[in-house]
Amino acid sequence: MHLRHKVATGAAAAIGVGSVLALLPSIPAVAHGSMSNPPSRAYVCKTEGPETPKSAACKAAVAAGGTQAFYDWHEVSRLEAGGNHRQIIPDGQLCGAGRDKYRGLNLARADWPATSVSPGPLTVTYHATAPHANSNFEFYITKQSWSPTQPLRWSDLEHIRTFNNQNPTQFTNWTINLPQRSGRQLIFSIWQRVVGSTEAFYTCSDVNFGGSNPTPVPTPTPTPTRPTPTPTPTPTPTPTPTSQPGGTWRAGTAYAVGATVTYGGVTYQCLQAHTALAGWEPPNVPALWRRL
Amino acid sequence: MKRAVPAVVLGSLLLSGCGADSIQELRGGPAGHGAHDAAGAPARPMPAQGTHSGSEHGSDQGPGEDSAQGPDRSAQGAGAGVPAPSPAPPVGTAAGVAFNPSDVMFLQMMVPHNAQGVRLVRLVRDRQVRPEVRELAEAIGVTQERESVSMSGLLDAWGRPATAEDDEHAAHGGMPGVSEEEVAALIAASPAEFERRFLDMLIAQQDDAAQMAKVEVVTGLHPEVTEMARLVDVSRTAQIARMLTLRGK
Repeated sequence: MHLRHKVATGAAAAIGVGSVLALLPSIPAVAHGSMSNPPSRAYVCKTEGPETPKSAACKAAVAAGGTQAFYDWHEVSRLEAGGNHRQIIPDGQLCGAGRDKYRGLNLARADWPATSVSPGPLTVTYHATAPHANSNFEFYITKQSWSPTQPLRWSDLEHIRTFNNQNPTQFTNWTINLPQRSGRQLIFSIWQRVVGSTEAFYTCSDVNFGGSNPTPVPTPTPTPTRPTPTPTPTPTPTPTPTSQPGGTWRAGTAYAVGATVTYGGVTYQCLQAHTALAGWEPPNVPALWRRL
Repeated sequence: MKRAVPAVVLGSLLLSGCGADSIQELRGGPAGHGAHDAAGAPARPMPAQGTHSGSEHGSDQGPGEDSAQGPDRSAQGAGAGVPAPSPAPPVGTAAGVAFNPSDVMFLQMMVPHNAQGVRLVRLVRDRQVRPEVRELAEAIGVTQERESVSMSGLLDAWGRPATAEDDEHAAHGGMPGVSEEEVAALIAASPAEFERRFLDMLIAQQDDAAQMAKVEVVTGLHPEVTEMARLVDVSRTAQIARMLTLRGK
């Protein structure tokens, strides 16, 4: 998420103590960018409005993953990518850059708003809110064998063209040659920064060549995308195991105030009720555990 | 204090959370991380506004022109010159331990980011949410407050401010965080919607933190800070998994 108006941090809390909406004058946030033509899924839904999605697909994306993906439409990125896109982004999560924040973009639907295209030259546009010099832009299109109700895998992509050592401006155009296709396809781009950063940005733009897609062939790979939740009462999680006094700390265990555990041979006492998680081992979180 | 500008090496990676575009920008200095005076650095032309056509000069790879080989090469169009991540050289030492610009930037971004997270989770206090959600929110609040104490303490020991100036971020990617608009939408949410919206917002917030942490682990120099970053990555990732479970995905 990026700041449009900075929510008061500690230093400025004096302006409105206790008020979450105590705001500072802000620097308008700029981030990086996304494909504006043909528009990426993030671009489409942010244009519809994060709080006012119009299309069924954007409504579903917000329902599945929240509005944050569309407030931060220009930050669908991996800071640590460094060209290792296929290693860090699992199949089925390409459109969302493998990040839970952007999981709504991964929905495998045949009704994402799509731009009509034809085989042959296509001028594409990248809208960079914060252009970065010296970047590489890679463009891909789905193979004819792909179908929009299938999660997008790396093996579904056919490379079109890469432009290296680019210096994008606010709106940068390239011309790429679209191969013969019919039906709905995805144009996928990777904007990999080269100087000063390993950050890479990812976009999925739904396009329609007209005609039909092949009937999807069932794949043995399980669908990694999460199904859209239905409006039912929220589920109760499986009760977490409660601890034995003095037992070894274990992630997933619910600890009450006063509970004792051992970890690394040391005994700790719980200060705040919580369910233990990785990263919250007793020596790491003095706010939760007091060493005895 | 003048610092020798290290030779720019393509393999020397810089934290991009602040989106700094050159090593010079991450030299740091008494004014805080990412001092942009860039004294002695070659002037970098500002990208022009407006539309232009991407260059077709420079190395360009079309189908069949990819230079690398591999079993899935037909799907790969990896560009040239992507930097391999590695820590930048140190810019200071405290108590005999060296730190670099990535360390400074990570701490300066996490302190306010944690504060925003604390304010988010406190929104739950006077709203109807399930006990499990409340418990998680409270635990996140106290742990992040405590983290910030450690982080601020380090910055203080290093003679660096707790946060970077706003404008040090504006030219780059901006500082990750919640917007006024998003918080207002959450507060205005109906009781039936509040918990889901809260979880989505916090998932996004923690995802942003994990991103910053992943980069620091690779680009940081100071062992205590890179370990803090590792724990931020692990803990936020675990929290996200828990929240997705609570949300019913």
